Amino acid sequence: MLKYGLVALATLLTIGTASADKLDDIKKAGVLRVAAFDSNPPFGFVDPKTRQITGLDDDYAQALADKLGVKLELRPTNPANRIPLLTSDKVDLVLANFTITEERAKQLDFSIPYFSSGQQFLAKKGTLSSREQLNGLRIGADKGTTNEIVLRRDYPNAVIVAFDDTPFAFTALRNGNVQAITQDGPKLVGLLANVPDKENYEIPAFTISDDYIGVGIPKGEKRLVDFVNETLVELEASGRAAKIYDAWFGPNSKAPLPRLFKIGDKS
Amino acid sequence: MEFFGEPMAMRYLLWLLQGFGMTIALSAAVIVASTALGIAVSGLQLSGYRPLRALLDGYISVIRNTPLLVQLFFWYFGVTSLLPSGLVAWLNTQHVLDLHLFSLRWPAFETLAGFFGLTLYAAAFIAEEVRAGINGVKSTQRAAAMALGMTDFLVFRLVVLPQALRIAWLPVVGQYLGTIKNTSITMAIGLAELSYASRQVETETFLTFQAFGVATVLYILLVALTEAAGHAVARSTPFASAARSR
Repeated sequence: MLKYGLVALATLLTIGTASADKLDDIKKAGVLRVAAFDSNPPFGFVDPKTRQITGLDDDYAQALADKLGVKLELRPTNPANRIPLLTSDKVDLVLANFTITEERAKQLDFSIPYFSSGQQFLAKKGTLSSREQLNGLRIGADKGTTNEIVLRRDYPNAVIVAFDDTPFAFTALRNGNVQAITQDGPKLVGLLANVPDKENYEIPAFTISDDYIGVGIPKGEKRLVDFVNETLVELEASGRAAKIYDAWFGPNSKAPLPRLFKIGDKS
Repeated sequence: MEFFGEPMAMRYLLWLLQGFGMTIALSAAVIVASTALGIAVSGLQLSGYRPLRALLDGYISVIRNTPLLVQLFFWYFGVTSLLPSGLVAWLNTQHVLDLHLFSLRWPAFETLAGFFGLTLYAAAFIAEEVRAGINGVKSTQRAAAMALGMTDFLVFRLVVLPQALRIAWLPVVGQYLGTIKNTSITMAIGLAELSYASRQVETETFLTFQAFGVATVLYILLVALTEAAGHAVARSTPFASAARSR
């Protein structure tokens, strides 16, 4: 009895030391466990036909699993759950539109960014093409958002009119009371998708501030971080990153948004 | 001033004071315009021309029976969508009228819509107060004036209206106080008055208590001063003696 106990303990200890390197563990297990959103299209959502989680983040997760030669196992998550899932070892990686922040980087490691969502503008076609023009325009913003603060700080001569929410700001744009409205690019794309005369509007191809989205990795797994970063750089070089982007935000997608950020632009 | 934390204090205080200036200017403009409009409406209601009376009654009942916020949305978002886009663009551009000594700046469209909406709203209530005042003037006064051979207009202008205004004055002052408070609603259409500024300061500093506290104190100050002025006018010699002589 004691002998079996000792063997079991020894086995446990071996597992303990082996898990010091997660990259080897994943290869050994043959499964990459990834936390992903299941209700945040197009980053991660459940496809009504296949009932499987799909989206931009999941394409990247699949690419990482392919490179490792293991099976991908997706686990649904939500914004509040992302860090606990990782720190309690329920998943190996988080790919869930995870914005890189200093605060979060204290609890986990981030890869280099693979996506960037920036503060952008929506205007009638032909009125706005570069950020230099912003200083002379009347611009609608959502009250109390960082968008409003950034715009006021960096473009002091723009006239900012703050509204209770984005639909109000859009009505003001439609009526001509403001010449542009500002929000995060993907949100503007979503707004424009439902506009009946969307061909009259455009989202000029520039941002005035950026949120960088990275892969969440357990703290201290240096080899895993290096593997994810190398893979992301390869995906950009091979053109697959651009293909993944186009599948969700390309000109023929439901939410066309120009690709302003390439992997490697920011480390 | 420690109130807003050291380095940015002046900047945020300045925002609040700018907003306060806007609140004062808008309130004053609306009070003047709505008083004139309210008196005109109540005077015209006395006319024997039925379609005009029906129209004015309709205006008063529509305004009094719908929320001010909805009316402001209507003027700002609704009506502009019907105007030709060239006119809207012109209304939204800065026009500066140079009058040598000083220059007049064309107000932002939000200010125009806010002024227009608040004036129509306040005038409907003032018209009702003035009408109540007119009804409070003894009919013998009118009869006496007619006996002197005055025209209908002169009877109204010289005999009825002065007495009616005295009767209606304090309720009208109440409408002025309401107008000052109602200017805060115009922040919903992006007018940068005191409430808008306090919300802006709160967003940037997270000093919730201070931002809204300063705004509250400024509102109390403005409303209390207006009320005191209203009562002072009511006690002033021509007003008081006329009221006594009734």
